[in-house]
Order: sequence, then C-alpha cells, then structure tokens
Amino acid sequence: MAQQFFSRRNLQFMLYEVLQAEDLCNYEYFQDHSRDTFELIIDTVSKLATDVMYPVFQDMDSNPPVYADGIARVHPIVRNYMQECGAGGWINPYMSYEFGGQQLPSTVYTVIGFIMGAANYSLSAYPQLTGGAANLLVNFGSKELQDLYLAPMLAGQWQGTMALTEPNAGSSLADVKTSAEDSGQGYFLIKGQKIFITGGSTDATDNTVHMMLARIKGAPSGVKGISLFLVPKFYVDEAGNLQANDIFCTGIEHKLGYKGCPACQLSMGDNGSCRGYLIGEPNKGLAYMFQMMNEERVNVGIGAASKATAAYYAALEYAQQRLQGRKINDKNPESPQIAIINHADIKRMLMFQRAISEGALALGLQVSKYIDLAKAGEESEKNELLIDFLVPIVKTYPAEMGILATSAAIQCLGGYGYCKDFPVEQYFRDVRIDPIHEGTTGIQGQDLLGRKVIMKKGRAFQLFKEELSGTINTAAEIDQLKLPAKMLEEAMIMVEQVTSHLLQTAVQGDTERFLSDASLYLEMTGILTIGWQWLLQGVAACQALNVNVSTVDKNFYQGKMLTMQYYFDYEMPRINTLCEILTRNEGFMSDVPLETFV
Amino acid sequence: MKVLVCVKQTFDTEAKIELKDGKISDAGINLIINPYDEVAVEGAIQLKEKNIATEVVIVSAGADKAMDAIRTALAMGADRGILVKQDSAADEFQRAVALAEAIKAENPDLILAGHVAADDGSSQVPTRIAEILGLPHVNVITNIEIAGGKATCTSEADGGTQVTEVTIPAVVSSQVSWNEPRYPSMKGIMQAKKKPVATVDAAAADAKVKIIELALPPSKTAGIKIEEDPDVAAAKLGDWMKNTVKVEVK
Repeated sequence: MAQQFFSRRNLQFMLYEVLQAEDLCNYEYFQDHSRDTFELIIDTVSKLATDVMYPVFQDMDSNPPVYADGIARVHPIVRNYMQECGAGGWINPYMSYEFGGQQLPSTVYTVIGFIMGAANYSLSAYPQLTGGAANLLVNFGSKELQDLYLAPMLAGQWQGTMALTEPNAGSSLADVKTSAEDSGQGYFLIKGQKIFITGGSTDATDNTVHMMLARIKGAPSGVKGISLFLVPKFYVDEAGNLQANDIFCTGIEHKLGYKGCPACQLSMGDNGSCRGYLIGEPNKGLAYMFQMMNEERVNVGIGAASKATAAYYAALEYAQQRLQGRKINDKNPESPQIAIINHADIKRMLMFQRAISEGALALGLQVSKYIDLAKAGEESEKNELLIDFLVPIVKTYPAEMGILATSAAIQCLGGYGYCKDFPVEQYFRDVRIDPIHEGTTGIQGQDLLGRKVIMKKGRAFQLFKEELSGTINTAAEIDQLKLPAKMLEEAMIMVEQVTSHLLQTAVQGDTERFLSDASLYLEMTGILTIGWQWLLQGVAACQALNVNVSTVDKNFYQGKMLTMQYYFDYEMPRINTLCEILTRNEGFMSDVPLETFV
Repeated sequence: MKVLVCVKQTFDTEAKIELKDGKISDAGINLIINPYDEVAVEGAIQLKEKNIATEVVIVSAGADKAMDAIRTALAMGADRGILVKQDSAADEFQRAVALAEAIKAENPDLILAGHVAADDGSSQVPTRIAEILGLPHVNVITNIEIAGGKATCTSEADGGTQVTEVTIPAVVSSQVSWNEPRYPSMKGIMQAKKKPVATVDAAAADAKVKIIELALPPSKTAGIKIEEDPDVAAAKLGDWMKNTVKVEVK
C-alpha cells in the first residue's frame, strides 16, 4: 500500500487559491462556516480515511460480500463505519439545520467525498447512497415519512438506496415495469424486480430504505408514468414497530471491481404485500429522481477522480523507489541503476495521470461551487444552467479518462502493477464502473448534445462559453499564460463550429444522425472543459509564484504550471481529431448496416 | 470537578520532515494535536460523560497556529480553551513554566497530558509542571478512577501494571493505550467555533535546554544479496552477521 492517496496541499490550493471557497461563507446560508471549520472538517475526514478506510481498502476487495439467507454479508467494517458516519454527521453535512445537517457548502462536501473515495471507494458508497436517498426524502417526501424514516438513516442505522434499474429497464427507464397499486390504506402494493441495486440488502445496517421507481396502475406509458416510492425492507407500523416488508434480495452480482459494495437483485411483492409509500405526486418520480441524479453524477465523477488520484500516488511512490536501468546516454553497465522516475516515459505517464486526476477534481469542485451559489441565491438561474450543462461532462471525463489514468499507473509499475501485490490493479478495476453507473457515457453524450446544448435556446452553452472566455481574458494578461489562453480560445471556437455544424443536422429533423456520435462530442467538450480548469489553476499558480514562496511551495506551483503545459501540449490537440471526425463522418454510425457486423 | 488538559501541536506523524537552516521546516507540513495528548483529551471528555468532571479546559503553549489544536480538542467535546502565546522554539522548561502559570490561574482538580510529544519525544513537560506546582505526578496511565478526592491510576510497568493512588489535584500523563480518541463530529466542529478561547502571554523563564544540532537519520543503504545455494548462502550470511554486523551469539 502506498503511503499517500491524496494531496492535502492540492485540496487547499483548489479551495482557497483557485475557487476562493471562503467567500461562500459571506452568504447567509453558509455564514456559520469559515476556513477554520473547513480545515477542521478536512482534518477529521483525512484522519477517518487514513485510520479506518484505507487500511481495509484491499481487504474489502479480497473478501467481497457473500450472499446468504437473502442478504449480502458485507465486510464487518461497514457497520462500524456507517455508525461512525452517522454519529459524526458525515451522511448529511450539507443539509439544512432543520433536517439535522450543518449547511456545509457542497464544495467542501465534494472534498469529503473525494478523500473518502481515494481511501476506499466501496466503503465510501454506503453513507453517500444513504445521504442521497435521505435527500430525496427531505426534498419531496411527506413530513410523516420524514418523521418515520429520516432519523435512523442519518444516524447510519438504516441504509438508503436508489432502486431504478430493472432487468429490461437499464438505460431506458421509460420501460420500468415495477407496478404500484393503491391499497387505499395509505400505501401502495409494489410488485416487480430490480437489479444492480447498490447496497440493496446488507447486514451492515438494521434496515434498508429504497427510493424506488414504479408505475402506478393505469399511469401513462413511458417516463411520464413513473412515480417514486419509499419501499423499506422493514416498514414502521401504526404502533411504531418494525414489520418485515414483502421485499427480498434474491442474489448479488459478481463484479469486476468496486467489490466491497454489493449490487443486489431485489424481488418485491412475491406474497402480494410489499408496501411502498408514494413520495411527492404521482407520475413525477423521474423528475424527482433526476434532481438527485445531478448530484449523484457529480459524485461519480469525483469518485473516478479520487481513484485516479490514489493510483497516481501509488505509481509515483513506486517510480521514486524502483531502481531500474540507467539514463539512455549512460553506457556503463557498472554504473548504479537509477529510480525509474528519471526515465522520460515514466515522467510522461505520471504527468498524464496528474493532468487527468487533478483536472477532473478541479471540475468537480467548480460544479460544486455553482451548486453552492445557486443554493445561496446568487444568480441562481445562471448557476443552475451551468450545472445542467456541465453534469454530463463532470461525470464522464473523470470516468472515461480515469480508466486510462489508472491503466497508466499499472504501466508505471510494469509487471508488478498487473499483480495484486500493489493496489493499482484494484484502482483500475474499481474505476471501470464509473462510465456505466448513474447513466452510461452513451446516455451522457445524448444528454449533452441532444438536450443541454440546445436547452433554453442555447443559453446554457452560451453561459459555459462566457465562463471560459472570462478565464481566457484573465490568463491572456499573464505572460506565461498567453499561449495556453490562445490555445483554449481556438479550441473553444472549434467546438462552437462543430456544434453549429451538428445542429444543422438536428434542424433537418434527423435526430438519429445528429446524435450518432454524441459520445465523441462529449469527449471533445470534456477535453475543452478540463483545459479551462487547467488554465484557471495556471492563473492561481502564476499569482502565487509572483510572491516569495518556500521551496516546497515553489515546487508545488511549478508542478502545477508544468502539468498545465503538459495538458495543453499533449491532451488538448486531441480536440482537432475529434472535430474532424464529428464534421466529416456525421451520421456514419447510424448508417452502418447491421448485417455487416459479422 | 474541573479537568485541564495540556495539548501540544506537533507535525503530522505521517509528515516527511525536512531540515532548513538547521531547523525543522514546517513548509507544507500538516499540524495536528500530539497523538498522546489527544488520548488525554479523550480521557477528560469521558470523565465528563461519566459526570465526574464538570468542565474540561484545554491549554496549549505555542504560536498562534496552536489555536487549531485547541479548536480540534473543543470539537471533540472540551468546553473552553486557553492559548498561552509562546515562541514555538521554547524549550521544555520554558513551556512547563508557561503552562504551570496558566494552570495555577485555573486552579483545576486534575491536570492531564500525554506522556510524551510525538515531535521531540523528550517526556519532560508534565513532570516539570508537577514539580513547579508541587503536585503529585503519575505517568503512562492506562486508566483512572476518581473518588473521594483521590485518583486511582493504572499505569504500565515492566511486565505488568502498577496501580497508584494519589490525592488530587495531581498531574497525570497518559499512555496511548488508555483509550481510542473520538473523531470530532460535524456538530462538534461547528460548536467548537463558538466555544471561548482565551489568549494569555507566557510567563518568562530562561531556557535550560540548548539544541546543538538536528540531523535526519542516515538514508538507508542498499542491502546485500547473497546469490548462492542455500547451504553456502546460509554460511555466508552467518559469517556476515558475525564479522560485519558483530552479532553476538550466546
């Protein structure tokens, strides 16, 4: 195991030097916070991550949950950890005081998620899922349901889940078949099956509360007929006692990675008595769920960034210690071997990992800050549109590039990287889920190009470009940043041109062709967006280098500048290729005849 | 019963130490509560939870940054803090004098501290405080019971344990195995911000300890590799241990 799995210094740089997170405390909602509380929170979470989570990172992978007697038996640490998170208030720190939260800015909550994800992603998922489910209950549930279910969830005694996917309704939620029939007694009778329900039924908590999508009998077909229900494993009866509900875990999946947290199969209503409690209004379930989904997608991106970060530090430590070979121009076989970090190819792979992981983290924090500003009432419409536009990117760039970054970490370790003796192979397996769960990359691409780019007559896209232009203008005033500022501006123009070109197809009504390469459009926009985030970091690093700094800090800021340069020199040019593909081969994929797949 | 806990802010025990101009450089180093003192804080909070202590006061001598260590202890559950402003280069005697002066003004019933600091490891301050204040001192305790104006302390001793009874007030310093310090909660962190922390100047005293030199441990040298058949390799290893490392075989 590597000594380090994240950089506290980088988090401080991002929070206070790039994003000026303390300024959020000027808003009434966050006024009880200060840099001191942020730092104490990060101190505590770092300690929890180091002392409790990281030591069982590999053990949870080696000893995954076992299905027995209708339940997933998980690593014993999960129960302790859930209780620790509940007692410490780490499940819902962002909630309002009214609901037991501490009104923590999302920007800092994202840092918490990042540290915990880097320490042990599987373990971090349990409280995060519970917090997400509780948030749905807070936002849309009745007071009665809140009074019955919220407190034990937030105390870490009951697990929360999101129960969306069914055997025939994964990406296509319009096809959800689970049914709900009004019993006339204050609850619905739920019947159906769900699969891939993370944390769906475990022995880590005494109850599980599912936020489940189901279709009320007689509801319209498609997404407009889906409602949201609270379906507990044990429901609270009129006398306040827990009663077993008619919902069973019928098995768990055997996964490639992310093994410490089970994906459960659930069967509801086998005996005709599974109680589900309607959340909000009928047929609005998907809209409610998708409000939550934005936050979950940010969390997925941060999770991917955290795994790529931990893999980077493992690779860095190895590269600094492993002696192998000599400088290419050293022909003396008797001269001592050098640490492999001296080899240019290793440096390139480390730089690649750092560019991706720190760029992805920066974007996650940026979106979190927009969430905070919107919540504080600061230009809410603008910030919400920016969030909407960036969500598919903040989810997908870290997820897709996290695979390549963790793969590069393996490559740095050579044969050892491919073996279980070192943690990098686990990071590679663990991150592979991220382009899949909470909406695949294909879905995200369609969301960006088919919905977000054109929403409100292109207003979100326009705001996004204005954000980039603001950074470009600032950077253009700084000598060391004139070139990357110009490169970002040119890239933005290219993306604009490709967008206009594709929209012409959309105007012609051929949506199939318009969206056929939406994933590549998302990839291109992602590269542009992370370039913006690196330029922002470059501005902060330049400002810091202009004043007297210690040697340690100087190395840090120069490392930032060099990684930014790497990003613009090595990663940004990929936009050219994608632009060419997107303008030249438009519709190609939709036209390929199926019979040619032989 | 008022319990006062002395805490020192130290480098994170995971930090990579670098020397600059003969001194330890704190650039880029995370500072924490001395882990041994953290155990003492936890012990004090537990006494309060058992309704034995009525107030837990944290005292730290050091530069302004030491306020962070006090806030952490307040977030764990202590009631208020006192920062005794003192140059971070103060020696153990100066520190003990400064803390003793602050303790005197508080007149506590029990003074707790870690038995050693993770940075300098000199194990002097609690003993010196007891000496200055003329109080009994029990060291490396793993448990404490308070009743009838007396503290019954269990301490580690060679090959076993030692139980000591002292009248209070007394200075008692903790071993890490006493308890498992809690993590501050979100609520505790928010409350800590509002808890009172007084700042006082350190009482003057001349240093008694002079650090001549600080040096990092020598870097590890490469090991030796004996590539022979097992019987030959074992003989060579034995020879190396006897003649080079000078291992004595009895």
